Amino acid sequence: MASSSRTQVIALYRMLIKESSKFPSYNFRNYALRRIKDGFMENKHVDNPKSMDQLLTRARESLALIKRQVSVGQMYSSQRTIVEGLRAR
Amino acid sequence: MASRVLAQCVRTLARSSARVSGGNLAVRAVTAPVSASHRSFSVISNAERSRVLEQSRVSIVSVWCRQYGDLPPLTLETIRDRVMYVLKLYDKVNPEKLQTTSHFMKDLGLDSLDQVEIIMAMEDEFGFEIPDADGEKLMSPADVVQYIADKKDVYE
Repeated sequence: MASSSRTQVIALYRMLIKESSKFPSYNFRNYALRRIKDGFMENKHVDNPKSMDQLLTRARESLALIKRQVSVGQMYSSQRTIVEGLRAR
Repeated sequence: MASRVLAQCVRTLARSSARVSGGNLAVRAVTAPVSASHRSFSVISNAERSRVLEQSRVSIVSVWCRQYGDLPPLTLETIRDRVMYVLKLYDKVNPEKLQTTSHFMKDLGLDSLDQVEIIMAMEDEFGFEIPDADGEKLMSPADVVQYIADKKDVYE
């Protein structure tokens, strides 16, 4: 399991974006996508392995959180808002 | 089904036979009209009858051909157009500088996270999963088009 940190970061990014696109609520979904992008962009230039480990653990915890909230949201989903428009999904 | 084909054939044949053997019918006006039409069938050559039958059969078959619901077939042209369209919609890409051969990182100045987003947009557009290992290697629109064509068995 010696996958380099670069591949780990990219895999986490993909998983986070995939999972947060499943949010049924418009607000949560857009906030999550925006926060993920900003979070990864601002920490792009971090070199210190210890802080990278910390950030990666935070990312994994957020991934678990998003998965849980997606299932909760799908259980109690409400009507689609007007701003969402015609979404194929 | 077959009776309808035959009925149409008879109608077309009766029309053409009326033209061809108008004189004959006038001469044989005494005989019953059924027997006259039978006679005129034999008068018309076999070749003409089979041609008329074929034409009517072909047109009928094309109308009765089933058309199951499915997406239009992919060609390299359509794949390329769709890939370029999706790339132009991405806000970090300059649409004027975009070419089929432009490298995401070297020519368009995107980084690996942007490349991940682009590959996910391609997944959404074409409706199938691209695994991480394959997605990492696609570094230009031409690569993407080639990969999708390989996966979807599109060739020229």
